[in-house]
Amino acid sequence: MADYSCLIVEDSPMMRQLIVFALARVKNLRVTEADDGVDGLRKLASSRFDIIITDINMPIMDGLKLVKRVRSDPIHQGTPIVIITTEGSQEDRQRALQLGANAYITKPIQAPQVIAKVKELLKIE
Amino acid sequence: MTAENKGGRDSFADAGRSKASEPPSPELKKERDAFIQSFFQKGAQLTQDLVSENARLRHRLANVERENAQLLAQVKSDDAIRELLKKIDGLEREKEQLLSHYRRAEAESTRWVGEYEQMEGELANFANLYVASHQLHSSLGLAATARRIKELLEQLMGASMFAVYLASSDGRKLVPIVSDGIDHPKAVPVKPDDGGIGEVFTTAVSRIEKGDLTRGSLDHPLALVPMKTEDKVIGVLAVFATLEQKPKFMPVDYELFKLLGAHAGGALIGARLFADAGHKIPSFDSLFDAEM
Repeated sequence: MADYSCLIVEDSPMMRQLIVFALARVKNLRVTEADDGVDGLRKLASSRFDIIITDINMPIMDGLKLVKRVRSDPIHQGTPIVIITTEGSQEDRQRALQLGANAYITKPIQAPQVIAKVKELLKIE
Repeated sequence: MTAENKGGRDSFADAGRSKASEPPSPELKKERDAFIQSFFQKGAQLTQDLVSENARLRHRLANVERENAQLLAQVKSDDAIRELLKKIDGLEREKEQLLSHYRRAEAESTRWVGEYEQMEGELANFANLYVASHQLHSSLGLAATARRIKELLEQLMGASMFAVYLASSDGRKLVPIVSDGIDHPKAVPVKPDDGGIGEVFTTAVSRIEKGDLTRGSLDHPLALVPMKTEDKVIGVLAVFATLEQKPKFMPVDYELFKLLGAHAGGALIGARLFADAGHKIPSFDSLFDAEM
């Protein structure tokens, strides 16, 4: 039985697979995948998640819109959100954090960095 | 006793008796009174001196007793200090042993943490390679394969300007079939000595920047990797620039370049042949009939 649940919102199957592999190193963490922001919202409507990891550049609904929607949703507004993106500029980072993201990781990702951030936000030793 | 002696003594007693019966002369009385007064004065003085001496001796005795008590206490205290020093010595030795154990344990722990981190890093690298390989061969569609090569270069390796060139049928030029970050990428002629894409195609030897990646451009590629199939070079993969946050190629990137060099060409050709075959999966019979 998983103690924690994580939603990965990422349009690239390659990145999703890579993040799933990385998070397999976190014990008792169940991972659910979504292809884009809309699919992510659909999954958020049907389940509760302890953490959300999202890309920014995605078709249909991008990651920043998803962050906004999550932060205005009374059920999920407190859920930690990690942005994983190729956008490395300081402005992009500031914008994401101002919208309510808790952490910002740039691609290409290093699995230990993702694991450490997820553990930190879930307060796992 | 002789008679003379006996006679002498009696005469003296007689003289005394005769004197006692007579009142003393005033001089004698005065002399006697002075003597008695002096005698008593001396006696009083002597008594006074004795009392004073006694008091002094008592005081001295009290001091000596106090000093003695202090010395005894000091001796006892010195013994206690010696005991304490001995205990401190023992504790210091114990502390040194514990510190030595702690240092050994800490060094061991640091070594394990280092090895654990190294293993985690290697696992992550293997995961990258597995995912790249899996994604590269997970589709036989030409567009999907091209998209996955793009994703691999961009998302796994941090390339921001790149192109994948395949040799034209006459082998004279290299045509870009996948690219990103380049406006209207052009075909490049195959020249064995152009110091760039054509040369890597001809020599089949990779050229990958080992240092700073910030100076990459179309004229100064950061990585040129020959793509081979069946030991034949069929194209070149070129990276001209990387994302801002990617200042250097990591060890896993060199492995990913090797993987792309060995598999990307094959994946593209396979996808192309599959498209030519009308996306039909070969039957078991046709596989069996082929030269195996």
